[in-house]
Order: sequence, then C-alpha cells, then structure tokens
Amino acid sequence: MSDSDNVMREGGEQRLTRRRLLEKAGVAAATVGVAGSRAPFSFAGPLKYKGRWLSGSLSIIQWVHFVPAYDTWFDQWAKDWGQRNDVQVTVDHINNTLLDTRAAAEVAARSGHDLFMNLHPMASYEDQVIDHAEIIQEIEKKVGPYSQLGKLATYNPKTKKYFAVSDNYVPDPVVWRHDLWNGVGEAPYTWDHVRSAAPKLKAIGHPIGIGQSQELDSDMALLAFLMCFGSFVQTEENTPDLNTKRTVEAVKFMADVYKRGEDQEIFAWNPSSNNQGLVSGKLSLILNAISATRTPEDLNLPFADDLWIYPIPIGPHGRLGLEHVMGCYSIWKFAKNKAAASKFLVDLCVNYKEATLASKLYNFPSFPGAFPFKQIRKAAAADPHKPHGKYTVLVTIAEKYTKNPGYPGTTNAAFDEVFSKYLIPQMFAQVSQGKLTAAEAVSATQKQIKAIYRKWKARGKI
Amino acid sequence: MASVAAAAGSRRLRRVSQLAHRRGVLAAVLISPAVLFIGALVGTPLVLAVYLSLTDATAGSLSGRWVGFANFRHVWADGIFRGALWHTFLFTAISQAVVVLGAGLLAHALVRRFRGRWLLRFLILLPWAAPVALTTIGFLWFFDPLASIWNWFLIHLHLVSKTSPPNWLGTPTLALTSIIVVQAWRILPFATVIFIAGISSIPQEVDDAAAIDAADGLKKFWYVSLPLQLPIALVALLFGIVFTATDMVVPYLLTNGGPFNSTQMITTWAFQTGINSGNIGEGAAMSLFMLPVLAAVAVGMLVFARRSEVA
Amino acid sequence: MAALVRAWREKGFVYAVAIPFAVVLGFPFAWMAVTALKSQAEVFQPSHTWSFHPTLSSFGFLFHHTKYVRWLENTCFVGLLVVAITLLVAVPAGYALARLAGRVGQSLGVAIFLTYLVPPTLLFLPLSRVISTLHLQDRLWALVLVYPSFTVPFAIWLLMGFFKTIPQELEDAALVDGCSRLSTIVRIVFPISIPGILTVVIFTFSLVVNEFVYAITFITSSTNRTLSVGVPTDLIRADLFNWPGIMAAILIPSIPLALVYNAFLNRFIAGFTGGAFR
Repeated sequence: MSDSDNVMREGGEQRLTRRRLLEKAGVAAATVGVAGSRAPFSFAGPLKYKGRWLSGSLSIIQWVHFVPAYDTWFDQWAKDWGQRNDVQVTVDHINNTLLDTRAAAEVAARSGHDLFMNLHPMASYEDQVIDHAEIIQEIEKKVGPYSQLGKLATYNPKTKKYFAVSDNYVPDPVVWRHDLWNGVGEAPYTWDHVRSAAPKLKAIGHPIGIGQSQELDSDMALLAFLMCFGSFVQTEENTPDLNTKRTVEAVKFMADVYKRGEDQEIFAWNPSSNNQGLVSGKLSLILNAISATRTPEDLNLPFADDLWIYPIPIGPHGRLGLEHVMGCYSIWKFAKNKAAASKFLVDLCVNYKEATLASKLYNFPSFPGAFPFKQIRKAAAADPHKPHGKYTVLVTIAEKYTKNPGYPGTTNAAFDEVFSKYLIPQMFAQVSQGKLTAAEAVSATQKQIKAIYRKWKARGKI
Repeated sequence: MASVAAAAGSRRLRRVSQLAHRRGVLAAVLISPAVLFIGALVGTPLVLAVYLSLTDATAGSLSGRWVGFANFRHVWADGIFRGALWHTFLFTAISQAVVVLGAGLLAHALVRRFRGRWLLRFLILLPWAAPVALTTIGFLWFFDPLASIWNWFLIHLHLVSKTSPPNWLGTPTLALTSIIVVQAWRILPFATVIFIAGISSIPQEVDDAAAIDAADGLKKFWYVSLPLQLPIALVALLFGIVFTATDMVVPYLLTNGGPFNSTQMITTWAFQTGINSGNIGEGAAMSLFMLPVLAAVAVGMLVFARRSEVA
Repeated sequence: MAALVRAWREKGFVYAVAIPFAVVLGFPFAWMAVTALKSQAEVFQPSHTWSFHPTLSSFGFLFHHTKYVRWLENTCFVGLLVVAITLLVAVPAGYALARLAGRVGQSLGVAIFLTYLVPPTLLFLPLSRVISTLHLQDRLWALVLVYPSFTVPFAIWLLMGFFKTIPQELEDAALVDGCSRLSTIVRIVFPISIPGILTVVIFTFSLVVNEFVYAITFITSSTNRTLSVGVPTDLIRADLFNWPGIMAAILIPSIPLALVYNAFLNRFIAGFTGGAFR
C-alpha cells in the first residue's frame, strides 16, 4: 500500500518537474520560433510529443470564422502547439451569434473553456476574468508594442485592468461593384457621392445595402458612419455624447440614402444578409470585411473581379472607421489551465503572421510587430485576384482609418451594452421608416444610453 | 342467513378500509419520484431565478446586490418591454386561435376512414416531426427578400409587383404575421393529435346513442361532440399557449426582435437583456412577469375545464 | 338514399378539410426538397428557381464533411433515454393523481403544471451551475438529466387525462373480485392505456428533438451536439448559409419521424375504436 503510494507520489512529482522543464523548453521554442518565423509558414520547434498521451489539457472556444481556411489553419496550429508543449488542445467552434450565450452560461456554471474568444471585448465580464497585463507584456517583449487600437479596446482605465487580449482586428472597407457604379458614372469616394449615386443604382435594380437591423454588421457600419459625421457615442472620458447636432444630421442623411437608394430588406438582416445580397449580384455596395470578396472568388462568380475595395467614404468630419470585428481572448478566473492558456495566447500573437496569411488577410494582428504593415502590403500586392493590388488598401485602412469601438473613449462595459442592445441601428431604423423624427430618435436613444452609463458608473467600471 | 350477509358485509368493509389506507400510501409512493424530480430541476432554479430578479446581478455572476423591486419597476418603464408584452399577447392569442380552430376541424376529418388518409396524415404531421430550430431557419429561406418562394408565387399570380415584393421579415406588421404563421404552422399538427386523442376517447356508446337518436352532422357535433371535446380542446389550447408564450426559438431565429424591436417578445427581449447585454437581474424580472399572467390563465382554463367535464 | 347523400357529404367534408391543410402544412417540405437538390451556387440565382440541375451534393456534404450522422445518433440516444425516464416517472404519477389522490391530487396536478410556465430562458443559467457541479458539462447525460424536467409535467397531464377516461367501474370490478391494486394496474389499466402511453412516447420524443436552449448551453463540442444545435452552428459557415445543406439536414430526420408518428397514431386510433368498450 505504502509502496504504491510512494510510486504515485513520485510519479506526481516527476510530472511536475517535467512540466516545468517543458515550460522552459516551450519558451525556448517560442523564441526560436520568433526568430524562425520570418520565413513564411515555418514551424519552429520540434513536435516532441507527437503520437502519445499529452499530460495537460487546454480548451478553447471561438467563432466559426467567416473565412473557412483560417479555421483549418488554426485547428492544426493549435494541435501542433499542443504537441510541442505537452498539452491536449481542444478547439470548439460555434456560431458568432451564440458566443455571448455561451459566455453567460460558462460564468453561471463557473466552469468552461480556458480560453474564450469573442468578437468584441467582453468588458462586462471584467470581474470574471484575470488581469491579462502579464500576457500582454510578454508579447510586447517579443514583437513590440500593443497597438493603440488593441489597448483602447481591452483596457479599463478606471480599474487599470486588461480584461482581454486582442489577437486580431478586421479592417472594414466598403465593397462595391465597380462595373455597376461605373455604369452610372460614380464612385463611393465621399458619402455625398454615395447619396447621389444611390437612386441611380436602385433604378437599375442594384440598390445599396447598409443594414439598419439588430445585428453586428449594422451596428458597426452605422457607428462608423456616425464617426464620419463627427458624432460619437461617448467622449474620451467615457461619458455619453450622442445628442449632438451632428448626430441628427447623420441620421437624417442615412434616412435620405435609404429612401432614395436602398431596399426595405435592410431592416431584417442578420450578419450574413449583406454578404448574401452581394453574392447574389443584387447589392452594389456594402460595408463589410473582405469575406465578402473572398466568397465570390471561391465560388468563381462572374463579377468577382468587379468587386472593388475602398476605405469608408469621407464625411463632413473626415474619414473614420471601425474594425469590423475584433478577436479578443479572455481567460476566466475559474479556468483550469491558466498557464497553458497564457502561453498559447503569447505564442499565437507572436506568430500572427501565419494567422493573417491563413485568413487571407481578413485578420490583422493587434500586435503589429508580428507582421508589420509594410510586409502585409507586400503580401496583399501579391494576391492574384483582379484588379491587382486591390487588397493593399486594407493596409491603409488599418493604419489610418480604423479606431476602436467607443472611440474616442475606451471600449467599456457601458458601450458594450449599448452595442449589444443594438440601440444605434434602432435609432436609424425608426427615422428611416418615418416613425420618429431624427431629433426625437437621437434624444430618446441618448436617454437610454445615459441610463446604461449611470448603471455601470455605479458599479465602478467607468 | 342474515349472519352470513352481515359477515360478508363486515369483510367488505374491512377490505375497503384496507384499500383506502393503502391508497394514500400507494399514491405517495407513485407520485414522489415525479415531485422530487421536478422540485429539484425546476423548483430550485426557479427560486434562484426569483432571487436574481430581486438583485442587480450581471453577466451571469449569479449574485448581486439586493435591489428589491427596482428591476421590475425599471422593466415596466421600458417602452420596448411594454411593446414586447403586447407582441407576446398578439403572437400567442392569434396563433393559438388559428391552431385550435384548425386542429379541431382537421381532427374531425382525420378520424374518419377515407382513401389517402395515411398520406394526408403524414403530410400533416411533418411540421411537428421536424426540429423547430431547423424548420425556422428553413423559413428564413422561404421569407428571404430575394429568393422567397411565396413571393415567386405571388409575383407569378400577379398579386404583387415584381420590383417590390412584400418583405416578410423586414416590415413590422408583416414580420409579426410571419412569426405567427410559422408558429401556427408548427403547433397545428400537435394540437390535431391531441384533438384526435380526445375524439377517440369519446366512448363508443355515446356515439352509438347519438346515432340512434338520429342526431347527425351538425346537431351531433354541437350537442354531443363539442361538449365532450371541450376539456380536450382546453388542454390543447392551454399547452399551445404555454408553448408559444414561453418559447423563444421562432421569434429569435426569424427576426431576433427586429425590425427595430417590432417583433420583440418577452422571451427574446429577456434573453437579449439578460445574456447579450449582461443584465441578468432585469432579464430574470422580465421572464417572471409572464409567470403570474400565465398562471392565472392556466388556472382559469383548468377550472373551466373541470366544471365542464362530463361525469 | 338519404344515407348515401349523407355519406357523400361526409366524404366531401373530409376531403375539403384535409387536403388544403395537408398542402399548407406539407408544401414547405416540398420546397425544402427542391432546394436540397440544388448546388450552392445555383441556389442564389433567381432564374434557376424551378429549372436547375439536381444534385445530391448537399446530402453528400452532410454525411461526409460534417458530423451530421453523429448528431442524429446523439439526438436518438437522448430521445430514447428521456422517453424511458419520462414513462417511468410519469405513468405512476399520472395514475396516482388521476385515481388515488383525490382533491390533493388535483391541486398537486395543477402545481406540477404550473412549473411548466417557467421558461427555459430563465432556468438555463441556474441549471448550468447544477450541471457543472455534477461535472456533466458537454456530456449528453446533462441533457438526459434535464429534459425530463419539461417532459414529465406534460406527460403527467396527458396521462391523467387518459386514466380518467378509463371507467372507474372496470377497476372496481377487478378490485372487488379480489385483485390487489397493483395487479389491477398491471393487468387491466395498463393494456387499455397503451394508446395513451404511445401518445406520451411520441410527444416526449418530439419535445426532446425540438429543444434548443438547453442543448446550446450545456453542449459545446461538435461531436456531442444534437441536431437542433449542430445544424445552425456548423452549417452556417462563413457569411453564407448553406441552404441546400440545411434543407437536406431538415428532411433527413423529419420524414422517418413523421412516418413513425403516423404509425403510432394509426395504432392509437385503432386502439380506441376497438377496445374494452364493447
């Protein structure tokens, strides 16, 4: 009896020291990996534990990526990482619309995945996650500083806590049918251009498609649109600031665009609707990430080469955009394997060049040092699809025109709630459908927003 | 002779008392698994949910500061919630009215023998056999602004214009109608089966007696079948109401409350508030709003059913 | 002559009612079948609404590139187990409430029913804590444990109704003849209530197949998903819905299930129009 006890205990201790050794080996491998990852698609470090039982385990949950090739790459990369680090990695993919439900369930159950990825920083779960500062510092040591965009999106200045790590963000261009726009002699350079072209395009059966529905795409597009008009949900100090003349002007403008050049369908969209509209050949302009161009390329549709990419059109306040979605990983306080989760995140962000390429330039690294803009531009220029070099504009968009949700403030829990309740699309839709005047809608929405901000302020989060 | 009868009488009395005694114990034994199960899996979470509605719990933390009825007050003041209340009422009332009338009629047809009954019954059972989440997503395709097959028919029958066909999910009234239609479509077979059960359980003697009295068709229906069916109709209606008012799958997957909250139901808005926006306390309060209303409706209907029970 | 006219009128009524209903309820499935036979590219082209090249590629995709078969198995596994548990718990309870418990039984019956009014969207958060305490997360056993919470009340109610329609005299006769209550139940009540039990089986199974909220909360990994959850999560890839795949996924379980329900219904109606009432 005591013998076997001893054996078990020894085994345990041996295991511990071996794991410690592994961690060191892993860090060494990562360092080699950084050095070696200059070459494309290189896997640094041997797959030491291939084909045997792995001693640790790590569970990850993330969305079903809109570019399927990314998931294929990621699942394999995670598996290989596991075999280099003696960890059994499982990756679960679920629909992006169900991520919030899962997060709530995992917190309620106080058990779930070690690494939870969401498409928006989970500011409201700040108390249930660890402080990610160390992870970010670790990554910064290896590839350079966290981008301003990433920092403003995942940091709470009030509590001084990093509640998530953003590995990537997705620049949000307009995707438009060059053949159709050319046909009516226009191009979406400014929002005024869009407004004047809209009726002409609708008349030939190809309306514009900027959603005003309770869904993610509409939310992002309309928030970015507001920014181009100088209207912001909050100030730099995170106080509500929606009720301004510029907001009213913007809302009126969009209602006008709807009346002249859009279809009723925009009020009943889900995140794939604008893509579907584009793929079916009907829509002439949408605000969406490049999954909208990659799918027609994959399906070999006849107008795939006529899909051009521009930055968001210029408004009275200039050109300001948001990211389409932002990948953010959080580690729960109750996660079982925080060490492996942290290490995984570090390695992922450090090796992000591969991820960006695997996602066909959909994902841009939040730590730009992992894949500097100049290099991305070169990769984009090498993209074979016509017109040649069309994806290089993504780099310009990423560098100059992409701000964090909640700009000029931070992405905090109150803003997150405004976003998740789709108050902005609702505001636009009510005016576009003539239910309220612009002034009424804006002031009503501001009231709702103020209530939300009051609540979170009382909780000490802003 | 008298003593034998008396002895038999006292034996019977003893047996009856034995039975009565065992009856209570037996009843308790038979019911307890069910009670325990439901108590554990519904009762306890329900108590927790009530507790949550009285706190300001957020983001699934399952604990928060006590705020009394503040959540309920706040929820009631919310225009979207009041709208959701109204929509839920419309959704439930209209879809279930359609279902009960349709199912009642259909069940009468289906209990008779006729050629092709098997095939027609098969088609009628299909909506209920298919998982509701999947068929609702299928209806997204039927109502698709571009590829809707209804619009195809309407256009080809020249009932609507080709350039602006109805947008089934994008206009407030049409969207609510679409949700009601889908819900009625999927509950109808279920209610029909309940009705068939009810009709089939009408003892044959009653049927024969009515035939002897030369009551046929409408008279028989009105004076005999309808009263006998009332309890079962009420059961079908009650379950239909419960399934409709407490289930969020159809509105959630079809419109998610849009366009701009014009098809928001209590279930979907509670879900969006509680989960997507992280305000668990308020979400719980909303869900609990329904409970007393539904309970009142249920108890009322049950009392009515019991009173109208025959024998 | 009057009898013949009456017969014709009845037939007319029957067809006039049954056929339109069948068309309205069944047409969406016909359209699903058409869509399932199209290719992904064709499905978005309005000119190909009815003229298209039929292909079985969506079915092939389902069976070879997704875990669809596994989801079917999972759903069947959960369904059958939950039906068994429901019968075990609800049949005795239904009988007891219908026959044995008198007034207390009525109130208890109502109370059990009232639990039904609590929506799963409210319960799933506290329940997920229960599930994780039992270490059942991401396992089908979590669903097997939780589903009876909404199938049992419903089954009890159905069975109460059924047992009440069995005339008390039948049982009393058996009891007076010297049978114990238990053997009365087994030998007299049970065979008569088989149609009722079959109904409960159908309803319970359909409730399980239709459930969505708990399935999405407690199960995460793709292999353990049920149909209701697997299809929306795995077949809505990219920004596009795989419509042919989704339609095929709906048709595959629905047709056999409808056939089974139909068969049960047949037996069930025959059971009533034959039986112990003569």
